[in-house]
Amino acid sequence: MADFIDGSENVTVHGILNWILLLVIFSIITVIGNYIGYEHPMADSLVGMGILSLITLIGVWMERELPFNISSILYISIIGILIALPGMPTSDFVLYYVSQVELLSIVTVFLAYVGIGMGKSWDEFKALGWRAVVITVLVIASTYYGAAIVAHVILVLTGVPAV
Amino acid sequence: MQTSNVEHVYRDKTDKRILKKNPWKDYKLHITVLVLVIIAQIIGPREIYIANGVEVSIMPLLYTMVLGLVFYLAKPIKWIQRKQARVAEGAMMLFIGILIAKLAVSSGHSIHLIFEMGPALLLQELGHLATILVALPVALLLGFKRESIGMTSSIGREPEVAVIVDKYGFNSAESRGIFALFIVGTIIGTVFISFLASISVSLIPLHPFAFAMASGVGSASMNAASLGPTLAAFPALETSIEAFAGFSNLLSFSIGIYIVIFIAIPLTEKLYAWLEPIIGREAIVKEETGGE
Repeated sequence: MADFIDGSENVTVHGILNWILLLVIFSIITVIGNYIGYEHPMADSLVGMGILSLITLIGVWMERELPFNISSILYISIIGILIALPGMPTSDFVLYYVSQVELLSIVTVFLAYVGIGMGKSWDEFKALGWRAVVITVLVIASTYYGAAIVAHVILVLTGVPAV
Repeated sequence: MQTSNVEHVYRDKTDKRILKKNPWKDYKLHITVLVLVIIAQIIGPREIYIANGVEVSIMPLLYTMVLGLVFYLAKPIKWIQRKQARVAEGAMMLFIGILIAKLAVSSGHSIHLIFEMGPALLLQELGHLATILVALPVALLLGFKRESIGMTSSIGREPEVAVIVDKYGFNSAESRGIFALFIVGTIIGTVFISFLASISVSLIPLHPFAFAMASGVGSASMNAASLGPTLAAFPALETSIEAFAGFSNLLSFSIGIYIVIFIAIPLTEKLYAWLEPIIGREAIVKEETGGE
């Protein structure tokens, strides 16, 4: 019960503090994994995670504070693209440090949380029949291949050389 | 069209989990994640040879996810329970931001790609409609009725679930269909697409960029899981592949939902109306839910 804050959906100082602490925890875990898996220097990748955390924080803050009906994912994408554009003064700095954090290191930590979180759905999953599994597998495979085949055809038609 | 609620499913969920609780306090959860990550990174990626030239690479990202699920389900592990799963779910919503930010930085660096390959990027979003043509007939043959409209019109993650619930109502057959798709996709989707991508990149001679674009299916974890093998197969193209995945994500999250609302659902309805009288079977859903 001590966790009860207030009823408001708005970002409170408390909320921002929660986010910051959570992002710090993510960063530490990711940097350790990144060091073990890819041997990138910890100090550099910590700066990289700091940059990514700051972008995320600004994105989620903008979603809640700005009057537009836009998801934080779009804000985060746009900020990330802007600060890394060739020619921007931030570009070299951001690129150097962010490239020290491998995408797969981030994903490895992310999916650990996903795995624990999906446990909640296990009982519901078991209750669904094999037919639902067949359809799900088909839906995912055809979504993936549909996009891949269309992209491939257009790439070939527009003359993008095979690498 | 009520799209306002739809776009904020992530926000509402994150706020509920992060603002109302103190997720950083759950140190047992975070230490467990750290231990899983260390184990996974020490084991490292492994390749399994299936046949001549066909290999499946298993990435550390799969170990952490499967171990996370095992930790939740294993009885002796008392410190990972339903409460931790809820906190983990909230944490994951914020973590998506880090993932998207990383992809966006690669996209910004390779912004020239969007000018060179913009048409392919845009049109591949329409490739997602293939699911209707493939999965709907099978769903009808298996005896699904209106459920199949929810089940086969899209990949069925949070935004699409919200669209279907908004359009057909929470207790409708269509919503039951997409709930089933959502649950099964949650449990097997990430592992399945990782194997699928892994086998495809070594077996099917499509352009590496086509695989990169295709990974943006509209789910952050499936995107990440299908990118893993693609990056491993084409290490020299790392930044471009990440850039395409970033652009593709941006598109999926901005226009993807409108493709579902204005194209996918009407198309599924049309195809259903045409095919159901021809290949529809006796409804199976009533017995199944009643019998189990």
